[in-house]
Amino acid sequence: MDKKLVRWSICILILCGILLGVGAFSLSVGSAGIPFKKIIPLILGGRGTTEYSILFDIRLPRIILGLAVGSALSIAGVILQGMFRNPLVEPYTLGISGGAALGVCLNIVLRLNRIGGILSIPASGFLGAIIVILLVYSLSTRRGILKIQGLLLTGVMISFISSSLIMLIMAVSRTEDLHGIIFWIMGSLEEPNLVLIKVVVLISAMGLFISYLFATELNALALGEEEALHLGINTERTKRLLFILASLLTGCAVSVAGVIGFVGLVVPHFMRMFVGGDHRILLITSALSGGAFLILCDTLARTIISPLELPVGVITGIVGGIIFVYFLSKKQVVLGGKQ
Amino acid sequence: MLEVKDLTCGYESEFVLSRINFRIEKRGLWGIIGPNGSGKTTLLKAMTKILKLRKGEVLFEGKNILKLGFREFAKQVAFVSQSSEIGYNMTIEEFVLLGRIPYRMQFQFLESKHDEEIAEEAMILTDTIRFKNRFIGELSGGERQLAVIARALAQEPRLLLLDEPTAHLDITHQIRVLDLIRRLNRKNGLTVIVVLHDLNLASEYCDKLVLLNNGLIHKVGAPQEVLTYQIIEDVYNTTVVVEKNPISSKPYILVVSEEEKAKVLQ
Amino acid sequence: MKVWFLAVFVFLGVNSSTHAEDNFPQRIISLGPSLTRELYLLGVEDRLVGNTIYCGQPPDAQKKEKVGTVTKLNLEKIMTLKPDLVLTTPLTNHEQVEKLKNLGIRVTTFSAARSFSQICDQFLELGRIVGKEKEAGKIVQKAKLKVSSIQQRIKGLQEPKVLAQIGAKPLWVATKDSFINDFIKLAGGANIGPSGKSGLYSREKVLEQNPDIIIIVTMGIVGEKERKIWRKYKTLNAVKNDRIHIVDSYKVCSPTAVSFVEVLEEIVGLIHVKVE
Repeated sequence: MDKKLVRWSICILILCGILLGVGAFSLSVGSAGIPFKKIIPLILGGRGTTEYSILFDIRLPRIILGLAVGSALSIAGVILQGMFRNPLVEPYTLGISGGAALGVCLNIVLRLNRIGGILSIPASGFLGAIIVILLVYSLSTRRGILKIQGLLLTGVMISFISSSLIMLIMAVSRTEDLHGIIFWIMGSLEEPNLVLIKVVVLISAMGLFISYLFATELNALALGEEEALHLGINTERTKRLLFILASLLTGCAVSVAGVIGFVGLVVPHFMRMFVGGDHRILLITSALSGGAFLILCDTLARTIISPLELPVGVITGIVGGIIFVYFLSKKQVVLGGKQ
Repeated sequence: MLEVKDLTCGYESEFVLSRINFRIEKRGLWGIIGPNGSGKTTLLKAMTKILKLRKGEVLFEGKNILKLGFREFAKQVAFVSQSSEIGYNMTIEEFVLLGRIPYRMQFQFLESKHDEEIAEEAMILTDTIRFKNRFIGELSGGERQLAVIARALAQEPRLLLLDEPTAHLDITHQIRVLDLIRRLNRKNGLTVIVVLHDLNLASEYCDKLVLLNNGLIHKVGAPQEVLTYQIIEDVYNTTVVVEKNPISSKPYILVVSEEEKAKVLQ
Repeated sequence: MKVWFLAVFVFLGVNSSTHAEDNFPQRIISLGPSLTRELYLLGVEDRLVGNTIYCGQPPDAQKKEKVGTVTKLNLEKIMTLKPDLVLTTPLTNHEQVEKLKNLGIRVTTFSAARSFSQICDQFLELGRIVGKEKEAGKIVQKAKLKVSSIQQRIKGLQEPKVLAQIGAKPLWVATKDSFINDFIKLAGGANIGPSGKSGLYSREKVLEQNPDIIIIVTMGIVGEKERKIWRKYKTLNAVKNDRIHIVDSYKVCSPTAVSFVEVLEEIVGLIHVKVE
C-alpha cells in the first residue's frame, strides 16, 4: 500500500497548497483596493497603519473563520453521507440549521442580547441546534436502536417546522428585527469576537481528529449496517457517536456563521470524484477543500459588487453549483459505488 | 464447534424459528436447506449475533456468542451474505482488506504488511488475485461473490457461514464457488455452514444437512438420510424421484413435471 | 416597497454612550439617510466622508463615498476612509457595529424616534456631537414654532378618523406608537391604528372602524393598487368621500426636524381640506 500512501500524501499536499494560495489571494484582495505590490511590505513592516489593520483585523479573521466553518461543514457532510449511504444528505438535512436559526430568531425578537451581550446570538443558535439534535435523536431511537431512515425523515420534518415558525416570527416582528434575522440566516463570516473564532477553529480541528477515529468504521458502514456488524464494528455505538459529532460540528458552524448551504453537500461529492470514497483520505481532503472553497466564495462575496456585499451563502450556492455540474458532466461520477 | 440449543427467535412478534437444536463438529461442512420462508436466513442471522434470541442460546466453542464482543466474534466467524453492497468504488484488494478490520488496532489507520499478506493469501485461495487492481464495480456477479468470500477469508475465521452463495450465478460459477468452499473445508480445515436452495448441490457438497420447514427442524443427517422422496414430498409438496448420482453415489433429485406425472398415472 | 421602506425607516434618538470629547469629529460617516440630511442641515456636510447608497438627499450626498447599505456595511471601505465618528441606526448590523468598536472606531447609535419631540431631541444631540449646538437649537426652535402655528390653525376643527397604511402584503398600518402617529395627531386627526409595536392589521378591522381618511404611504404603483383595493369597499367613509391619498414614502419615512414640518403641512392639507 505504499503507492496508496504516496498518492494520498500528494493529494493532501496539493490541497494544502491550494488552501494557502486561496488564503493569500483572499488576504490581498478587497474593496480597500490595496495594490498587490504593497501586500508583502505591509505584512512585514506595516504594523499600526490602517491598511495593516484591514488585512489583519478585517480580512484575516474572515479567512480563518472561513477555513474553520468550511471544513466543519465538509467533515459533517462526509460523515453523514457515509452514515446514511445517501448522496443527497448534507449537514442541514437533519434540521440542525433550522433549530439554530429558530434560536437566533427568538433571541433577536425577544431582545435577549441585552442580557447576554454579543455572545448571546451564537449561544442561542447553538442552544437551538442542540435542542433539535436531542429531539431528532430521541424520536429516531426505538428500543435502543438508532434507525437511520428515521433520522432523515425526522430531520426533514423538523426543518420544515422550524422554517414555518421562523416565517411566523418574521411576519409579526419589527422591521429592525426582521433585518437582523434575515441577515443572520443568509450567513456571514464577519464575526467581531475573536475568541469565538478561536473556539470554532478548535472545534473544527478536534472534529477532524475525532472523525479519523471512525474512518475505518465509515468505510465498513459503506457496505451496509449488517455487513459492518459482521466485520466486527459496533454499529450502534458508531452511529450514535458519528451523529453527535456531525451535529456538533454543524451546530457550531451554524451558530457562528449562519446558514451557509451547499458546502456540506457538494464538497464531499466533489472530492470523491478525485480521491475516491475511502474515508481515510476523503475526510482530510474534504476538510481542506471545504475551507478553501468557503474562503474563495467569501472573497467573491465581498468584492464582486463592492462596496456592497453579497451573502456568502448565495455565492456558495451559485459557484458551487456551476463547478459541480461542470465536473459532473465531464467525469463519470461514482456515488457510493454506483456508476 | 458450534452448538445451537433450543433456539427460538424471529422478527417483531412473530416466531419464525422454534426449538432449533443441532451441533456441528470442527471441520464439518454443513448445509441448511428448506423451502422459501422456512427460516434459513433467519437461522444464520441468529447464529451471527444479528438477531436477538427469544429463547435458547448459541454456543461457539462452548461460549455463548452473546458474551463475545462483535470484534472478537468477527475474528473467529465470517459471514458471506447473498448480495453484498459494494460500498464505494474500491479495488478488489481494498475490498478484501476490509476483512482485516477486526484486527485493526485503536489508532491504526493504514493496513499493516501482515494485513496485506493475509489478503493476498485470501485472494490466491479464491483465484481472485488476478483482479487485484480492478474495481469491484467492474466484476461479474460470480467474480464478485468470490471476492466477498476472499474478504471473509481475510478475517482468518475458524467458521465460515454463507447465505445462498450460488443464487444468481451461472453453473460455472456455482461450481467454482462450491469447489472453493469444499477445498477450504478439506484442505484448510475451515468449518463451513452454507445455506443452499439447490438440493442437488447441497447433496453433492455437504457432509450433513439440516432441513428446515416452517421454522422447525424437520430432519438432520447425511444427505442420504435427509433427501428421500418421502421427506421431500412432505416438506416441499412436490413429487420427485430420488436416484443415486452415478459419479458420486450421493442422492440426486429428479424433477417430475406435470406432464410426466400424468403419463405415469395413466 | 417594504424593503425601501425599511431602508429609510430610521430615526434619531440618542442611545449609546458617547465619549466626552474636546475636538469635534472631522471625518464623519453616516449610515442612515435621515442622519445624512441632518448633517447637511447643520452645515457640516464637508465633514461627511462616507454614507450609504440610500443616502440620496440632498443631491450632493450622492457624490460622497458609499460604504454599503443601511443594513450591511463594507468594513474595509469604512476603514480606508479613516473616520473619527460613525453614526449608526438600529438597522445597522449589530455584529458589524461591534466590529467597528473593536477596531477602535468611535460609534454613536441613534435609536428609532417615535415622535416629533424625540426627533427634535435627537437632532439637538447630533448638533452637540458635531459642535453645532447653536444651529441645531435654532432649527428645532423654528420647527417647533411652525408646528404650534399649525396647531393654532386647526384648533377646534373636527378630528376625522385616519388610517395610515405603510405596508401591503401583509397589510401594515402606523401604530399609535410611531412618528406617523404624530403626523396624524399634530395634523388634527385621530389615528385608528393599534397601539404597540406591531402594525399588522386586518382589512376587516379597518372596515369595522370605518376611517374617514386613508393615507397610503408608499412609492409608485403599489399605492395605486392598494387604492383600487380599498375602493372596492364601498361602505368605507374614506371611499364614499373619495379621501384615499397617496403620499411619497421617502419624504415621510425619514423625516428630519425640518422635513417633518413640511410633511405635516401636506398632511394637514389632506386631512382638513377646507383649511387655508
